[in-house]
Amino acid sequence: MSSARYVALASAFVIAAFYTAWAQQGPSASRSVEPAPRLADGTPNLGRVPGEKGVWNVPYIQNMGMRIPGPDGKTAAERGTASENGGRGGAKAEPDVPFLPWARGIYDYNSRNNSKYDPEGYCLPPGGPRLMATPYPMEIIQQPEHKRIFMVFEGATHIWREIYMDGRPHPQGDELNPTYLGHSVGHWDHDTLVVDVLGFNENTWLDYYGHPHTDQLHVIEKFTRPNKTTLRYEALIDDPGAYSKPWTVAWNIPWSAGGELTEYICQENNRYLLKLTDDFGEPVLGGR
Amino acid sequence: MRTKLLVAAAAITTLLSTAPVAAHHSFAAEFDASKPFKLTGVVTKVEWQNPHTIFSLDITDEQTKKVTNWSFEMGSPNGLMRNGWTRNTLKIGDVVTVEGSLARDGSPYGNAQAVVLASTGKRLFAASSRTDAQ
Repeated sequence: MSSARYVALASAFVIAAFYTAWAQQGPSASRSVEPAPRLADGTPNLGRVPGEKGVWNVPYIQNMGMRIPGPDGKTAAERGTASENGGRGGAKAEPDVPFLPWARGIYDYNSRNNSKYDPEGYCLPPGGPRLMATPYPMEIIQQPEHKRIFMVFEGATHIWREIYMDGRPHPQGDELNPTYLGHSVGHWDHDTLVVDVLGFNENTWLDYYGHPHTDQLHVIEKFTRPNKTTLRYEALIDDPGAYSKPWTVAWNIPWSAGGELTEYICQENNRYLLKLTDDFGEPVLGGR
Repeated sequence: MRTKLLVAAAAITTLLSTAPVAAHHSFAAEFDASKPFKLTGVVTKVEWQNPHTIFSLDITDEQTKKVTNWSFEMGSPNGLMRNGWTRNTLKIGDVVTVEGSLARDGSPYGNAQAVVLASTGKRLFAASSRTDAQ
């Protein structure tokens, strides 16, 4: 075997080994890594330790249908029993996603056209759990003295969300204005940050594969930091407008030591949107 | 041999730990992962912009000697910088080889996954959204 081929083979093996190690990291993974840091009051610190840099390297979770935890707490993607994204089989390939009929139809349509009309391709922000599935770095900044937490996202339009930790309820009725990111209130349940989100508009998809949602979407997120380099994310998706029952998705978000956020202004030169045509060949933008 | 293996392992570790994929629009709606290409040409234009840096090459057909201007999409400037690029890595007149996937519509356009600079032989990852090709 030539040395070039040997290196190529060795590289493939190392990639496979890393991938396997990464894929097997479940909630119960026991690896000899540093424990999660804590704030002075003992609350888990979901961000940086003073004097150090670092960001959360949000993974590219394309299909949440492959991210539904089973009885062992692991998802199909983590068990390795399915390919990470599950392919483009449409709703019939995802028996664990409780689609209502219209949602099934829209999902199949998005599957068939390879997510051509993905709102993120228009430089619109992700909503709901897709915030934690759009692959750009993210920081969590806790301000316990102000009873709030910020999450700052480099990508998918350079956005932030504020999580109110002061015990306020969601606004009622029309006071709850539908928005891309919704209205987030949080509390600590032991070492888990629980965030309740309501008030989404209907301009986003749940994921790149195109699972739809309505403005009835209610998301309950759980953030834990089992060790310094891992953020476990779990989201209950409760949308009676699109799904017959709530379903849960989960994945790990790795820490990137030394990382920092940089600028990303998606709207600058979005040629994809300028060129995009509809199913009748007409431009999506501009007059017809 | 051991040195090469370690170098390969180190390179891959670096790639996995520091190279987030920049994903913006649907890869599969615009490009065909089953149509890979490897083309060499002369840089005519570089648009160091979001959401994709796009550069153009004059590529000469070896048989007909006809010159076609191709364009290639890479990741965003921030994704490219995390992979060792700067806004001056590609300059007009540079000879480069680009590898990636062709556009579905048959136009002289492609998604670049790696770029090799002829002057240095340096190979740079193009922060492509290729992983959504499946």
